[in-house]
Amino acid sequence: MKVRRFNQQGIDAFRQRLSDLRQNPAADPPLDLLENERLTQPVSPELQIQAVHFETKGEAAHYLSLALNNLKAEEVATDSGLWTWLSLLFLDSVSPPTDGRRIIRNDYFYVFEPRNPRHFYRHLLFVSWQILRLAPRCHALFMGTRISSLDAITAEVMQRLYLTRIRCIFEVLERLYWDPVNRRPRRGITGSRVSPGNLRHRLPLRISQLEKNYDLVDLNADQLITLLGEEFAFKSPGSSF
Amino acid sequence: MIKRVNSTGRRRIPQQHVQIEVCDGDPRSFDASINLAGFAAPDDALLVMEATCAGSSRVARFEWGTVASPTPPPDRLLHGLAGQHVLFTLKIIDASDPFRKLLGVAENIRPLKGGKKTATGRQGILPVELSDDLEDEPWRVEYRTSEVFLLINSKLPFLRDQLRSDPLVYALIYPQVVRQVLKQAFADQADEDSPEAWQTRWMSFASQLHPDQLAPPDEDDGEEQMQWIDAVVSQFCRQHEFLQRLTRRSGETTWEDLS
Repeated sequence: MKVRRFNQQGIDAFRQRLSDLRQNPAADPPLDLLENERLTQPVSPELQIQAVHFETKGEAAHYLSLALNNLKAEEVATDSGLWTWLSLLFLDSVSPPTDGRRIIRNDYFYVFEPRNPRHFYRHLLFVSWQILRLAPRCHALFMGTRISSLDAITAEVMQRLYLTRIRCIFEVLERLYWDPVNRRPRRGITGSRVSPGNLRHRLPLRISQLEKNYDLVDLNADQLITLLGEEFAFKSPGSSF
Repeated sequence: MIKRVNSTGRRRIPQQHVQIEVCDGDPRSFDASINLAGFAAPDDALLVMEATCAGSSRVARFEWGTVASPTPPPDRLLHGLAGQHVLFTLKIIDASDPFRKLLGVAENIRPLKGGKKTATGRQGILPVELSDDLEDEPWRVEYRTSEVFLLINSKLPFLRDQLRSDPLVYALIYPQVVRQVLKQAFADQADEDSPEAWQTRWMSFASQLHPDQLAPPDEDDGEEQMQWIDAVVSQFCRQHEFLQRLTRRSGETTWEDLS
């Protein structure tokens, strides 16, 4: 199938169909919209894509990164119609049916709103693609998580531009918060308890403070970890917060 | 309430020392004239310009040579920054410090000149923008790093004009906006040494508006803060004669006409 993008009418129609699916969770997905000439148009240059199934953000990110490789990344990153169309194409991945019924959650998980600072990072396919784009390596904390939901680590990091613009931040995150022995994030890093070095509560504050006094963008991971200070000098990668 | 602290002696560069012109195009481009006379810094300190834009999550970064030899990069295109309100930051970075300590910063600089696509010059404390992202909400206050925006649903473009002209719109919306923004300014206090921060400018505006021109109360006294906000909002309504204007306007239009 050719890759297409929704126009505004198409996005509105998709929102309406999402609403219908909430009312009737057993209904078929509105795949008739995918190639509707009035609601969509092919991207240029022409690209082909298949409705494969993804389990994780990593699978989606790698597939979409290749599939969209011939488009300008800067334009893809703000293309509301494209990402919204992709959500429909991969609806079985981002909202998988269980026993024939699917749960459609808030629109922003499926309808991409690049200019909305509270919503843009919640789009499940976009955020997966964007993480891989920003972090071609050191993305273990993110890539193994399910594509059908927005996990806390992804949300805490990707909503903050002042974090993601620091070039070494993904290496720092992986060195601080990934447990390589058990191959999983360290326990408690996004918990509600404000513990020293916690990713959810302490890291953003500490970076925000450092940003006031240092140009963090080009630091390497060793330098940034040094600046973060004793609070982030964890004794053991496997330890909890 | 957390304030970020200037713990390394970073100095503020007055905004008027950086003059910026944004040129229309797709994407737009910009040029900057930087005057560092009187700013004591090593010759090899690095200059970096950053550009952001309301409605975009992108920060464009441009290396601009050194203090002794400011050198604009050949590519000064503002990719991914399509909104009308573009803001620039100039950083002066200590080249001898491996941690890239900031020696000076000029933040939230607005272009002095621009084409039709760019807002220029001084701007009020509450820019109004049309937004495609409000779904069924008519308006919303949005707090961004450097600015507070009143977003108007783009499905209601006439509302932007009515905000200037129709008491039934502005007298019902603006008092609530002022109250909301001041509460947020107490909850999310500006960094030290940030006269351009939206919180600082709003607090200054409100202090002058306060009937007794009282400064904002201490950050820990919630009750006193609320009373201070009440007084400011009340004076704001009085100064703009909202009640009288609403009364006159309601004589022209019945509420039933609106339903």
